[in-house]
Amino acid sequence: MQEISLSEIAALRPRIYGYMGYVGTASDIQTDNMITECIRELERTAQFNYIYKYSEELPPFLEKEPYRSYLEGSRGVIICAMTLGIAVDRIINRLLRISPSKGAVMNACAGAYLEYLCDTYEERFGSDRGARFCPGYGGSRTEDLKYIFEILDTHKIGIVLNENYFMLPSKSMAGIIAIGGNARAGCGSCIMAGSCAYLKEGAKCFTQGKK
Amino acid sequence: MLHTGKKIIVFDGGFGSMLEELGLGGIPEELNITAPDKVRLIHRAYSCADVITTNTFGLNPIKYKGSYGLGELAKAACENARAAGKPVFFDVGPTGAMMEPMGELSFEDAYNAYKEVAEASRDIADGYILETFSDLYEIKAAILAFKENTELPIFATMTFDSSERTLTGSSPEIVANTLEGLGVNALGVNCSLGPKELMGVVGRLLGSTCLPVIVQPNRGLPTLENGKTVYKLTAEEFYESIREMVEMGVSAVGGCCGTTPELIKKISVFSGRDVSRPAVQPGTIVNSANCLCDISSVSICGERINPTGKKTLKQALSEENYGYIIDEALKQQEAGADILDVNCGLPSIDERAVMTRAVKSIQEYCDLPLQLDSTDPRALEAAARIYNGIPLINSVNGDEEVMAKIFPIAKKYGAVVLGLAMDKNGIPKTAGQRLEIAERIIKRAGDFGIPKHKIMIDTLVVTASAEQELAAQTLKALELVKGLGVKTALGISNISFGLPCRRLLNRTFLAMALERGLNMPIINPLDDDMTGTVRAFEVLSCYDRGAEKFIDQYKSVQMSPNIGRKNEGADLSLYDCIRQGLKTKAAGLCAEELKSREPMEIVEGTLIKALDEVGTLYEQGILFLPQLIASAEACRAAFSCITEALPKNSEIKGKVVLATVHGDVHDIGKNIVKVVIESYGWQVTDLGKDVSPQRIVDEVREHKPFAVGLSALMTTTVPAMEKTIAELKRADLRTEIFVGGAVLNEETARRIGADHYTKDALGMAKKLEELFRKQKA
Repeated sequence: MQEISLSEIAALRPRIYGYMGYVGTASDIQTDNMITECIRELERTAQFNYIYKYSEELPPFLEKEPYRSYLEGSRGVIICAMTLGIAVDRIINRLLRISPSKGAVMNACAGAYLEYLCDTYEERFGSDRGARFCPGYGGSRTEDLKYIFEILDTHKIGIVLNENYFMLPSKSMAGIIAIGGNARAGCGSCIMAGSCAYLKEGAKCFTQGKK
Repeated sequence: MLHTGKKIIVFDGGFGSMLEELGLGGIPEELNITAPDKVRLIHRAYSCADVITTNTFGLNPIKYKGSYGLGELAKAACENARAAGKPVFFDVGPTGAMMEPMGELSFEDAYNAYKEVAEASRDIADGYILETFSDLYEIKAAILAFKENTELPIFATMTFDSSERTLTGSSPEIVANTLEGLGVNALGVNCSLGPKELMGVVGRLLGSTCLPVIVQPNRGLPTLENGKTVYKLTAEEFYESIREMVEMGVSAVGGCCGTTPELIKKISVFSGRDVSRPAVQPGTIVNSANCLCDISSVSICGERINPTGKKTLKQALSEENYGYIIDEALKQQEAGADILDVNCGLPSIDERAVMTRAVKSIQEYCDLPLQLDSTDPRALEAAARIYNGIPLINSVNGDEEVMAKIFPIAKKYGAVVLGLAMDKNGIPKTAGQRLEIAERIIKRAGDFGIPKHKIMIDTLVVTASAEQELAAQTLKALELVKGLGVKTALGISNISFGLPCRRLLNRTFLAMALERGLNMPIINPLDDDMTGTVRAFEVLSCYDRGAEKFIDQYKSVQMSPNIGRKNEGADLSLYDCIRQGLKTKAAGLCAEELKSREPMEIVEGTLIKALDEVGTLYEQGILFLPQLIASAEACRAAFSCITEALPKNSEIKGKVVLATVHGDVHDIGKNIVKVVIESYGWQVTDLGKDVSPQRIVDEVREHKPFAVGLSALMTTTVPAMEKTIAELKRADLRTEIFVGGAVLNEETARRIGADHYTKDALGMAKKLEELFRKQKA
């Protein structure tokens, strides 16, 4: 995995602090250093894999709200799933035993790192794409994950959905991306726009925030 | 007749894309019955291949949930494949479920699923192709099922991603060592990527096994065109890559996703050609699923999970406290061990059951390969079976009876065996006699089909205080045994038993033995003197090229004039150490303070006050979660000193039972809660994740805790939480019920009958304090 720059890590920090329960302007040198350490370890151990299908015909589960509103005006949809791999789960579990404080930071970093890699990967879908939307967001049902798993050969990237709709490895996501029309990746098209804790503080989940 | 490994064999190609082309949807395996003509059409199109694989990729009782019987589908699939007039290999894919410990499928359930497949197909197929597996543990279960229930040849392939690892993180070397050890007939890679992208994996497999290597790549990397997956690699390009692989020494070729009869016809020209590949020098290698140890220079075997002379470990084993054993494993890994010895031999316990559970627990957290150490063949067999990788077995000796029991186990599971240079007459006095026993062990192993590189010899250390002159014989035997071409091991610390300043003798003897050719010292890796001696030896013997490992490990060590580490933070108080999260220092200072203060005075006057300050700063957003946890860890370390100072069985506060509810496999939040509330002096029984309501009720009944903490991450598992609370109340167990987790709030907590909801670990700790004080008042 290509090393990400220090400025990119700095840009990831608000999201990482967010996963630890802080919003916007949180920062602490000791934790910042641990974040860099954790990201470097993730670069060595994560196995990022992404699988997707593009369709201009909507599968039936996307014909209801809130998907219908999200996809309104788009010409097609990417149905996708991605993961950091099971090795990351093992590292988090191990750290929570030998150094719980680092384990908590690693857990938050892994979530943010997955988002970062997805955002980077999805650049190939063009600039007229919407923000990634996953079942569970904005009033949608987690149970809808099963439809995504029926459509994609998720076993090819090693993700399993259990009967309670948990994805394994735990640092995995599955969702949809609107293509074309008014769709744009960013705060405007984000389903969380109305209730985003970052925006309320004048920050964004993917930038350094107010500083 | 297939000449596996001597002549090149060509397998058929992709099936799914062909079905799609014929417009056939639904469950592919059922087409064997519902559309046999179409299925046969595809098989016939591949008759240019030497081997036809059945249309049964998803046919196992875990994955296949259709209306037909497994047996009838297997039969129809084989009959269809026979239409091509070629030998038929039964195609076996993964179950689609995630294996334990990360997932929910147990090794035993996976084995039983594949056993059913074996029984349904063994009389109608000519061999098996296990393909597209991405989990080493799952393919091990499958291989054992087919080896134990059929006599047909087994070809086994796994998928690798662009990082050249399987999706569960195993390297090609680990895959090769494990599959070869388990006795498959050929091993390799399928699916994954295109042939060009797989060259690296293929080269690494060929360099790691003497077995025939099989390759079945996809037709390049797919692209998306008009919503359809398209493979653009031409037949000519596919052929060129396969030709290169054949030149590298591959023994069997075929195709996977996107490949068609056209491509297979093109590569069928290689059929029957002589296989030509460079010889592979096999090593003495053990591995877990993610870590391989080639015992070629010096590898440290950690000795701490062995109850001999260890009171706390004995207690942990008899109480089946696997948390303690996991922590011992992780400490040794952190300290630089390469392999871990696991010995659960206590007269009072069911060694077989405890050894099995200990190995399962360790491999959940620790990557290091394991040395399974027992005198009980039943315990060794059970542990080797569920071990995810190739273990080292400790041990056999020159006694025929012992060898006859242990070698078949080692052979079956591909283990490396440690042979002790002794027999039923005891440890011989001279080096020459020990050499004779070593020769006997190696020869007898050969009779069981175990090659020399799978044998290590321990020339046995006798305590110097009893028979001083034998130390020299041990070292001389070491040199002689090296001449037999096997690797060597020694349990070093026996040398100093009964003498003062044992560490000095241990490290000196270790240096002497390393110089004479010792490959695997069995030592306490937490002893810096011992690991330091190994690291220094590696530099001075040029094993550690450029002293990279040594510099990395010791660059930050400050040496004082008295060769001791600086005592950092010497001026800090216990309060400061908790506040700053300095674990080791906090434990030391607490032990000091206990000499002049009452334990409860330290708890109330220092520890809780420091934690309260940290908690306040955390709530104000001045300190962050990692610092809160670090302070909790420091406080926990101090509490362990306090607990030791208190009379046995006395509790500081009380017990708390924690569990993530049934169906929920995420337990990170619950683990943080554990650390934080332990730091406040509560004794926590952690039941782990996915815990049934009944088990929680049983444990609460047994432990009579002050409180129970239940965790759930998602809405789908809240009903399980509600059920657990209902059962606890029905059983009339008086305890404070706490709930927490991402999907809960005050309202939901009240609705499902919980007594308390807290939003985070600190909230629970504070609420517990409040309830505790109220109860005391």
